[in-house]
Amino acid sequence: MHSSTSNSDYVRPVPHVPWRGVLLAVALLSTAATLAWELHARAAGYRPTLNDTADLWSEARASVRPDSLVLLGTSRMLFDIDLDVLERGLGRRPTQLALVGSSPFPILADLAADESFRGTVLLDIVPAMYLAPTGSPPVEASEKALRRYRSWNHAQRWSHHLALQLEHHLAFLQQEDLTLGRLLERLPVPDRAGALVPPAMPPYFYSLDRDRRARMVPESAVIGSPLQQRVSSTWLPLFTPPPPPSFVPRAAFQQMMVEGLEARFRETAKHIARIRARGGQVVFLRLPVTGPLAEREEQLAPRAATWERLVRENGVPAIHFADHAELRAFDCPEWSHLSAEDSVEFSRRLVPHLQAAVRPSELRERTTLPAVAASALDRSRGE
Amino acid sequence: MLFNSLTFVLFFVLVLTGYWTLRSWEARKNLLLVASYVFYGTWNPPFALLLFGTTALDFYLGARIARSGTSGARRGWLVASLASNLSMLGFFKYGNFLLENFKWLLAQAGINYQPPQLDLFLPIGISFYTFHSLSYTLDVYRGTTQPTRSLRDFTLAVSFFPQLVAGPIVRAADFLPQAAQPPKPEAGRFIWGLLLMTLGLFEKTVLADTMLASSAEKVFGYGGPLASLDAWAGVLAFSGQIFFDFAGYSTCAIGAALCLGFHLRDNFRFPYGAIGFSDFWRRWHISLSTFLRDYLYIPLGGNRAGAVRAAINLMIVMFIGGLWHGAAWTFVVWGVIHGVCLVVEKVLRAWFKPAAWTQTLGLQILLGLGTYAVVCVAWVFFRATDFPTATRLVQAMAGALPAGDAILPTREILQVGLVTAGLLLAHGLLRNTTMETVVAKMPRALLVSVWTAMVGGIILTQGNGNAFIYFQF
Repeated sequence: MHSSTSNSDYVRPVPHVPWRGVLLAVALLSTAATLAWELHARAAGYRPTLNDTADLWSEARASVRPDSLVLLGTSRMLFDIDLDVLERGLGRRPTQLALVGSSPFPILADLAADESFRGTVLLDIVPAMYLAPTGSPPVEASEKALRRYRSWNHAQRWSHHLALQLEHHLAFLQQEDLTLGRLLERLPVPDRAGALVPPAMPPYFYSLDRDRRARMVPESAVIGSPLQQRVSSTWLPLFTPPPPPSFVPRAAFQQMMVEGLEARFRETAKHIARIRARGGQVVFLRLPVTGPLAEREEQLAPRAATWERLVRENGVPAIHFADHAELRAFDCPEWSHLSAEDSVEFSRRLVPHLQAAVRPSELRERTTLPAVAASALDRSRGE
Repeated sequence: MLFNSLTFVLFFVLVLTGYWTLRSWEARKNLLLVASYVFYGTWNPPFALLLFGTTALDFYLGARIARSGTSGARRGWLVASLASNLSMLGFFKYGNFLLENFKWLLAQAGINYQPPQLDLFLPIGISFYTFHSLSYTLDVYRGTTQPTRSLRDFTLAVSFFPQLVAGPIVRAADFLPQAAQPPKPEAGRFIWGLLLMTLGLFEKTVLADTMLASSAEKVFGYGGPLASLDAWAGVLAFSGQIFFDFAGYSTCAIGAALCLGFHLRDNFRFPYGAIGFSDFWRRWHISLSTFLRDYLYIPLGGNRAGAVRAAINLMIVMFIGGLWHGAAWTFVVWGVIHGVCLVVEKVLRAWFKPAAWTQTLGLQILLGLGTYAVVCVAWVFFRATDFPTATRLVQAMAGALPAGDAILPTREILQVGLVTAGLLLAHGLLRNTTMETVVAKMPRALLVSVWTAMVGGIILTQGNGNAFIYFQF
């Protein structure tokens, strides 16, 4: 029998309200409002799809096995590569670890640090994104996903599985467009002159499945459609670097950027060398980009100084869409991604190149590392 | 497990169903105990063992204190409880901080010492459950509560899942009597609990996370000088964010406990309607301020040994209160600012209290706004990760950085302004009443509308699942 005594007889007051009626009214009104919102979302063109959350990414990362075929990169990898086609062509179903708006560098580093991993990495390189400085939004996007994966607990896993069930059925569960925060962002409130406000992100224009295969919604693939115009209008501002910070001297800032860039090249070589030393391999991919965005990317990160250098220093197989007539024959409707239909055909045409690049494992052992990669590996072994 | 997660929704439905279905009170308490450990274990299962170890030790030490015949022995067992609890807290929470400060001290003496990096993972809620548990041995020692013979009841008191990881700090003396008798099912209490949970989730997901968090993060994360407007907007955003986040958690906890028939005390009472700092601390994180008052300030002598000693005691309490929030000197400065304000207020009250003009409405409003402004300045040190950031922000707020950068979208500034104005107005108007009174007087249609709007807001946020700020403490 409990023997504790105390002078505490605290009882919270409960307001005198006809609670059952109130609860019933709230339940009915909330259900009706939710239903109305769902119908409105569907009428506006939204369809149930999975949200590309850090949980979905963590689930994919957790499924990586030592010999997995892993896709890293930006949204182009998500949109342009059909997993079924690659599976048929390469004999293994790829694990999609690309992330929208990201630099895949931190994830490459994570795989390199995973001593069990000796599989194949197909690395989509958009140089302006891949080489984005540490602390910038593209790098943060990857690091955020990695943080979630590393601290992914049971409760988060269960919530993720429950959320998937809801997302399969409800169109309004659309985190890129229909959350309260995103709806507020749409309010037409002009910003102050000179305010350092980041550009707007593109609206919802793709669906996603459990394997993280993204497919552009049909309207976005129609040239001249409002959605296509809205999406394409976001790319140039997003691919415009922010002005240098006012509180760091210009010369010092430039020096910092150059050092950061050089470090990124060195670190890349080190990570790739580590994966290769374990018997894994890395293949670089440059996926289609068209229109004014292609010019902007070339202006920002010229091919010769970025892509060519990465290929040269790492000595890995590299497939640049512009080097192959059958791969550059595609037009990106909104300049940055292939339509869902084109992505299947593009993947088919890519497969022979990948088959040539992804060598049988017994050949990998005989590969000679280029000098830069070999010295990076030596340094990493010494650390 | 977060309150604002689908896992918790399912967990809570299952617990409620099982709890109110079981007829035996003992079985219900067993269910709650298992549920509480599942709730905690989903973060990191091994830390559940640490939680149980602390609890079992204090259960044993409480019994030894009660059985000891001499005051020396009683004091000895209490010291053992204090030492075990505080050393565990110190090890996990302050280990690296102490080593870094030790390194700095040696460096001042010209000694180069490189401490080992402990790489500790802070058990979630350790600051809260340590105080839950410690309150028991302290109360048994003080003779204000009798020790319980039930380890299960005491374990449930410490680990009761609504308040386990982020408060309110519920004293065993408040909880154990409620564990003695089963509560009767009451629809009104249950539904009121659901309404409180809705309010808490709305505060967290809509007001804290959606309306305010972005501005606060941008401003406190910016590495350069800021325009005055942006600095103020960021600081006001944080002042609202931390209130809605923490009060939201407490409200959820109180609501969840009510659904299970347990009564937890208020942790917040419209704190931004406070007039003066002693009033603020009667309204903000009440369970911590009363804990520190009863177990630290009064044992130190309180205000019984003269004004100077009382001022020193206050400063000690606020210093420790600051450090309790985190292992960083910025938290200490936050506590010290509040301590200094409390001391200054005591002096001013002693001088001016008799004057009738101090009670005029206009002056009261001015004093309330002044209190809020200083509280906001103190929040800068609480939120900033280092002193250069805090200093830059205070300078910007004072208008000392005319060339500072504007980084916030106008929409976010408007959001912060609207939410802050609403918050201050609500706290100012409701400062002398309670939520229960307000709801009882509210027209039914308005009550239904407000509750429905809150549900709608929560659904619209789509549960982004951000952790509560106070989890890190």
